[in-house]
Amino acid sequence: MKTNLRKNSKAIIILVIIAAFLFVAARGMSGRDVLITVLRGFSTGSVTFLVAAGFSLIFGLLDVLNLAQGTLYMIGAYVGWTVYVRPDTFIDVLTPVLLILAGFSLSALWGRLASRIQLAPKARKIISWLLILAGFGLLALVLTRYPIAIWNLNNYSESPITYSYMADQGLRIIPAEVTFEKISPFLALAGLLVSSAISAFGIALLNRDESRSQTINWRKFLVPALLLLGGILAVVFNAQITSWMYAMSTNWLFVIAILIAILSGVGLGALMETTLIRPLYNRPIYQLMLTLGLGTIGLQIVQAVWGRPEFVWPKPEFFTGTGGACPATNLADLLEYNCSTVFLLGGRVRVYDEIFIPIVGIIVLIVVWILLKRSRIGMIIRAGVQDRQMVEALGINVRRVFTLVFALGVGLATFGGALAAPSTGLTPVMGERLLLSALIALAIGGLTSFPGAALGSLLVGLIQQFMIKYGQIGIPLPFTDAVFKPSPPLVPASTVLLMVIVLLILPGGLLGSKE
Amino acid sequence: MKNNSSFLTKNRGILIFFAVMLLAPFLIGLFEGSTPLMIWGNQGSLSKFIEGLGIEIFILALFALSFDLLFGITGLLSFGHAMFFAVAAYLTGIALKTLAMPFWGVVLLVLLAAIVQALLFSLVLPRVKGITFTLVSLGLASVFHIIVMSSDMINLTGADVGLQGVPVPAFISPVTERLRFYVIALTLLVVTYLFYRRFVASPTGRVCVAIRENEDRAKMLGYNTTIFKVVVMIISSLTAATAGMLHALYQPSISPSIADLGFTVTGLLIVLIGGVGTLSGAIVGAFAFRLLDFTLRRFMGESASFITGAIYVIFVLFVPYGIVGTMRMRQLRTKPGWQRLLGMVKPKN
Repeated sequence: MKTNLRKNSKAIIILVIIAAFLFVAARGMSGRDVLITVLRGFSTGSVTFLVAAGFSLIFGLLDVLNLAQGTLYMIGAYVGWTVYVRPDTFIDVLTPVLLILAGFSLSALWGRLASRIQLAPKARKIISWLLILAGFGLLALVLTRYPIAIWNLNNYSESPITYSYMADQGLRIIPAEVTFEKISPFLALAGLLVSSAISAFGIALLNRDESRSQTINWRKFLVPALLLLGGILAVVFNAQITSWMYAMSTNWLFVIAILIAILSGVGLGALMETTLIRPLYNRPIYQLMLTLGLGTIGLQIVQAVWGRPEFVWPKPEFFTGTGGACPATNLADLLEYNCSTVFLLGGRVRVYDEIFIPIVGIIVLIVVWILLKRSRIGMIIRAGVQDRQMVEALGINVRRVFTLVFALGVGLATFGGALAAPSTGLTPVMGERLLLSALIALAIGGLTSFPGAALGSLLVGLIQQFMIKYGQIGIPLPFTDAVFKPSPPLVPASTVLLMVIVLLILPGGLLGSKE
Repeated sequence: MKNNSSFLTKNRGILIFFAVMLLAPFLIGLFEGSTPLMIWGNQGSLSKFIEGLGIEIFILALFALSFDLLFGITGLLSFGHAMFFAVAAYLTGIALKTLAMPFWGVVLLVLLAAIVQALLFSLVLPRVKGITFTLVSLGLASVFHIIVMSSDMINLTGADVGLQGVPVPAFISPVTERLRFYVIALTLLVVTYLFYRRFVASPTGRVCVAIRENEDRAKMLGYNTTIFKVVVMIISSLTAATAGMLHALYQPSISPSIADLGFTVTGLLIVLIGGVGTLSGAIVGAFAFRLLDFTLRRFMGESASFITGAIYVIFVLFVPYGIVGTMRMRQLRTKPGWQRLLGMVKPKN
C-alpha cells in the first residue's frame, strides 16, 4: 500500500490540487448552482467519456490514433436524428444498404472461387480492377435512380430545420411517399445485388492469398441470406413499416434511433478497419493521417447531406412533460407526468440533459468495465494492450479482435453522438469540438487506460462547466472590487492548460503507464 | 552524386526552378500580348494574376518546407505547426496596424517571437515523445487559436472576422509592386531550400535523421538529442514565421483559420503529396496542392474540399512516398536496369 502511494505520489498530488481547486470553486457559489454545475459536468463528462473510451480502446489495442472519432460521433448524431425525425427516409435507405451488404458479404464464397482461377499476375490485377470499377459504376447508376424520400436543403419548408422544429412542437410532418419511377423495382434490387457482388468478386480476386484456406459451408450463406431477406422485406412492406414507425411512441422511436446509431457506428468501424486501416498496420503515422483524412471526408459528406445550419433533435415524450405536478419534486411525480425538469435543492434541473445522460454514461462505464474484466474477449483485449505479439503467439486470431475493438470503439462514439444530440443540437462543428475535449481527457487520464479515460473525461467536464458557470456569475478578485468573468473561449483553454501541466509532470497521464 | 561536384551541378534542379519561375511572369505576359517592359511596370492582368498564384504557392511551400524539416527529417509530428505561421502573421498585422512600427522593426520582432515560440515548444520536448508530443503541440496551438478567436481581443485580432486593413509598406505592396513581392518570395523560398539542403547534409542534419530513425540509439551514441531537436525547432519556426509574415503582407485579411488544426493538416497534406522527408517534395507538393485546389474550386465549388480529402486518403494508401519520393525510388530501380543494359552492349573491362 505504501509503495503504491509513493509510486503514484505525483498523480495523487495533482488530483488533490484539482480537487481543492474545485472545492474552492464550489464554495464561491450557492448550493443550487453547485449541484447544477456538477450535474452538467457529469453530463459533459459522460458524452466525452463515450468518445474517449472508444478512442482509448482502439489506441490501446491497435495503436491507431483514430482522429476520425469526432466525425463519427457527429455521424452517430445525424443518423440517429434521421431515424427519429424521418423514419421514412431511414426505411427507404435501409433496403439498398442491406442489399449492398449482402452482395459484399458473399466475399468469402468469392474468395474460394477466385483462388481457383489461374491467371497471370498482371492480368489478374487488371481484371480485378476492371470488375471493381464496373461494379461501382453499376452501383452508382442504380443508386442515382433509386427512390429515397429525403429532405430538401434548398427549400426551407422541406429542410431538416423545419422537420425537427415541427416534430418538436408535436406536429409531425409526414412527407409523401416516393415510388419507383425511374427504374423498375426488380431491376433496382437485382442491380444493387449484382453490382455489389461483382465488386466484391473483384476485391476477392485482387487479394486471393488470404482466402485460400477458408472452407465453404452453409453458415457462410446465412448472413448474406438474412441481409437479403431483410432488404426485400423492407422494400415490400415499406409503406406499412413507415406508417407504423410514425405512429409509434417517441420513446420507442428514440430507443430505435439510438440502436441504429450504434449499429451504424459498429458497421462503419468494421468497414474502416478491414478496408482502410488494415493495410497500414506497419506504418503508424500513415494511419493517423488516414483517419484525419477520413474525418474531413465524413465532415464534408455530413455537410452535403444534412446541410450546414444547426437544427435540434426533439426529445422523446418521456422527458418533455410539462403539465400536472411539473416541475416534479419527487420520483413518483416525475414518473407519472414525465416531467422535463425537476426541483432539486431549490433549483430546476433538466431531466434529460442533467440526469439521464450521466446515468447512461455510468451504465456504459460499468458495462464496458465488466466486459473488459470478466469476459474472454475482454481478457484478450487487455492482454493485447499489454503485449500484442505475445497474444498472437498464443494462437489467438488477433485480427478478428482488432476489427471487433475498432467496431466497438466507433460504436461507442456514435452512441455518444446520438445521446448528446437531443441536448446539444446538431451542427457540423460538434465533432471537432468534442474530439478536442476527448483528446484532452485522454491525455490527462492516460492514453491507453480505460479508467483514465473515465477520470479524464469527468475532470474535463467538471472544469468546463465550472468555468461556464463562473463566466455567468463572475469571480470576485481578492483585495479589489473587480469581478473577473471568464469569457467562453477560456473554457476550452482552461482544460488545455490543465492537460499541458499534467503532461509536463506525468508524461503518461494520471493513470497511464509509466515509462 | 560525386562529392567534389560543384555547387551548380549539385543544386541543378532548384536553380533551374529559380530561373524558370523568374522568367514565368514575362513569358506568360507574352501570351496576353504585353511586353516584358509592361510586366516590369506591373501592368498586364494575367501575368499579375499568375504572380499572385505564385506568391501563394511560395508561401505554402515555405510553410510545408518547415514542416518537412520537423516531421520528415527529424520525426517530430507537431499538430501545432500552424501556430508558428499564425503568430507571425498576426504579429505582423498588429505591429503594422495598431502599433505602427517601422517595417524592419516588425521583421525583427516577428523573428524574435518565432524563436521564443520554438523555445516554448522546446520546454516540452525533453519530457514527452511521440504521440504525446503531438497532443501537447495541438493543445498549445489550440490555445492560441482560441485566444485569436475570442471576443476579448477583438480590437487587435478582429476575432472570427479576421484582421483586416494591414497597411503594407509601399515598396513591397502586393497591389502596386507585385513583381517585386513575387521575386522576394521566390528568392526567400530558394534560399531557404538551399539552406535546408545544406543543413540536412551537415553532421547536425545527419543526427536529426538518426533521431527520426531511432532516438534511443542516437542517445546511446552520445548525442544530446534534445539540443538537436531544439535547433531544428528554431530553424523550422523561423521559416514558418517568414512564411506567415509574407502571408500577412500579401493577403488583404488574416483569417483565424490559419491558426487551427486544418492549416497544419494542409501543411501535412502538401508534404505528403510531395514526399515526406524529401524537402523538394514540399515545393512540388505546394504546386500540386494549390493548383489542384484552385482548379477544383473553380469547377466544383463547395465539394472541392471533399475531393481534396479523398486525394489525401488515396495518397496515404497508394502513394505513401509522395511524388518526389516515388520518382526517386523509380530512379533507383531503373538505374541498375540501364546500367545492365549498357553493360550488355559494352562489357565492362
